[in-house]
Amino acid sequence: MSPHLRPKPIGGAILDRPMIALLALFGIAEGVITWRFLAGIGAVSNMNDGYAWGIWEPVNVVVFTGIGAGAYSVGLLCYLLNRGRYHPLVRPAVLLGAIAYSLGGASIVVALGRPWNMYWLAIPGMWNLTSVLLEVAICVMAYVCVLWIEMLPAVLDGAAESSSPRRSAFGRIWGGRLAKAMPYIIALAMLLPTMHQSSLGGLMLVAGPKLHPLWHTRLLPLLALISCLSMGLGAVVVLTAMMRQGWNARHDREILVDMSRVNGLMLLLYAGIRLADIAANGKLRLLAVSDLFLMFFVLEMALCLIPAFIFLTRRVESSRLRVLGALLSVVAGALWRVDTFLTSYNAGEAYHYWPSWGEISVTVGMAALGVAIFIAISKALPVVVVQETPVPASVAAFVMSALPGAQGRLQAGGRRGPTTPGTR
Amino acid sequence: MTTVRVSRRGFLGVAAAGAAAGAAAALPRRAAAREEVQPEPKAVGLLYDSTRCVGCGGCVAACKEANGLPYQDEPRELDCNTKNVVKTRHLSHPVAGGATSAFVKRQCMHCVDPSCVSVCVLGALHKEGRDKRDSGGEQRGSGIVLYDKELCLGCRYCQIACAYSIPKFEWAKAIPRIVKCELCHGRADPAKGGALASANPACAEVCPAEAVIYGYRADLLAEAKRRMAREPGRYNPKIFGEHDGGGTQALYLAGAGVSFKELGLPDMPENSPASLSESVSETPYLHGLTPLALYAAAALVVRRNHRAEAPDHAKDEEHR
Repeated sequence: MSPHLRPKPIGGAILDRPMIALLALFGIAEGVITWRFLAGIGAVSNMNDGYAWGIWEPVNVVVFTGIGAGAYSVGLLCYLLNRGRYHPLVRPAVLLGAIAYSLGGASIVVALGRPWNMYWLAIPGMWNLTSVLLEVAICVMAYVCVLWIEMLPAVLDGAAESSSPRRSAFGRIWGGRLAKAMPYIIALAMLLPTMHQSSLGGLMLVAGPKLHPLWHTRLLPLLALISCLSMGLGAVVVLTAMMRQGWNARHDREILVDMSRVNGLMLLLYAGIRLADIAANGKLRLLAVSDLFLMFFVLEMALCLIPAFIFLTRRVESSRLRVLGALLSVVAGALWRVDTFLTSYNAGEAYHYWPSWGEISVTVGMAALGVAIFIAISKALPVVVVQETPVPASVAAFVMSALPGAQGRLQAGGRRGPTTPGTR
Repeated sequence: MTTVRVSRRGFLGVAAAGAAAGAAAALPRRAAAREEVQPEPKAVGLLYDSTRCVGCGGCVAACKEANGLPYQDEPRELDCNTKNVVKTRHLSHPVAGGATSAFVKRQCMHCVDPSCVSVCVLGALHKEGRDKRDSGGEQRGSGIVLYDKELCLGCRYCQIACAYSIPKFEWAKAIPRIVKCELCHGRADPAKGGALASANPACAEVCPAEAVIYGYRADLLAEAKRRMAREPGRYNPKIFGEHDGGGTQALYLAGAGVSFKELGLPDMPENSPASLSESVSETPYLHGLTPLALYAAAALVVRRNHRAEAPDHAKDEEHR
């Protein structure tokens, strides 16, 4: 990696106004969570015996980890297929993954009725190996650890750049040691999501009699795996665009176009498999029944095929359309996930469900906390590679007024300035 | 520029190949599906005869008393205070005798191959005698689905998985449990022989009309067939639970012209949902071989690519 591809801390005050707003949103969630532990899940949610997972499982776990699969999909492309050429994207993607998965895991603990019994999970003899959720739980816990270990080089690099000689030496020595172990950790980071992302889809296999047949198929695990690759690639393209806007982060057009083309293939593959499976199982007649389910199905397909069209034609070259497509691909995956876990799930005539404000505030608060952690870590540690061209005044003014952390960055920029190769 | 193009085309190809390989690996094969679970020889259960039930609700009250659950108004649905309920179901058209409604008793079906047991993370829901922890007094063979709260995470996957929506959760409690019929396993009397040594459901004990009876599943099936043979015009010729969803230990008889769907029982596939889920989920793992092979392959490729990139990094160090 040449020096201009070296990530640097964004710098600037961490506790600025946008950060306070994000933390306030999380504060509301924290209040709800506290009340949930005192008074029971029913006290804050509309979950019921029919819709026992509400939105926490489908959104906080299944959608968050789909977005967090950015670490997985970028890792696959970078480490397995492209000889490290995607390095500048890897750290932000891994950070995105680490945060999304940690929050997904935290949400599970909030949603568990008897979380204190989790200590049994440490004893493999107690595992019920036929439980898909057990596989998801163990695999996700292991993967969260792996993701944060993957973030350690950022911490050690940060230490290595420190002015304190002791800290710097520590960073250098341990950074070197960790680098040697890294391939084996990265390999785990490739394996574990392959397992648990397919298992996340597999969770609903057993619920066949309650799922709408357009969503229930033996291919649920495969669809979930492809969908997470697409969501992950989309999420990283969107993230890169946001970091470019906010922090003048480096963005390599070639790489983003490549990633989007792969995403286009994933979306086509997903749509093709899904339609072929529906046809092969004699479910085409269900597409002639015009009801709410058909509407959601058509919406999912549209959200899938529009970005595929953008990505696999010349339109992928346009940065605006590319980001739009990426966003749509994330929404496509998210909608399919929510539909599979909630919309297409029918608990019978006795039950109805719509999320309560308490549930929504926990979901929103967790997402806000995720954004806050991402910003804070990027400001303090070398995660993001910053563009070297000076920021035009008009862009700077816009960024200063609109985006979290930009002020600090630009102020600091005057003093430190974006470093050029060889000056250090 | 050229190298970039080549490498891009290269990895698009590899990406497509990888996806195809992944698809092939993940494709479930029917041949490798896990075997269907057969009822245990000493499996016990209930036979409910909708045509005999007069809807007196005696079984509901008896259940509440036997299980120490609060009884206020006549419950309409199963909930965390109700393990057994009798519902009045309105029929789409009148049946013989002019009846426009039918009764149905609902409680745990004690499936032969229960979804809840298959999905329970630590096996809190388990077939009698198969608890991961010795909770005392359990013997194998009855097939009763029991609950061990000490192993329950409260994840509620059982509620999602159960096709009959039987397990209920204590939503209003900070320390909640899953609540469902355990066939009054606690009322078993080992001194008595036969099925009563495994359990003694209060509902069956109290029923004045023998609308619900308790016994070995095999005997209950024989009794159901005997009743149908005696009065063929009286019954829907199907016994719900004989085969549905891999079979259940609670069996149902409906009146002639009354479908089980009208009674609120779901249309079940012949094979159990658990067998589908387990075989689709486990087959690609090849007993752990696939993850090991994938890990080894990934480690190899990552290491090679890591090395390929190393010289660049070294140059970079010199720069500093």
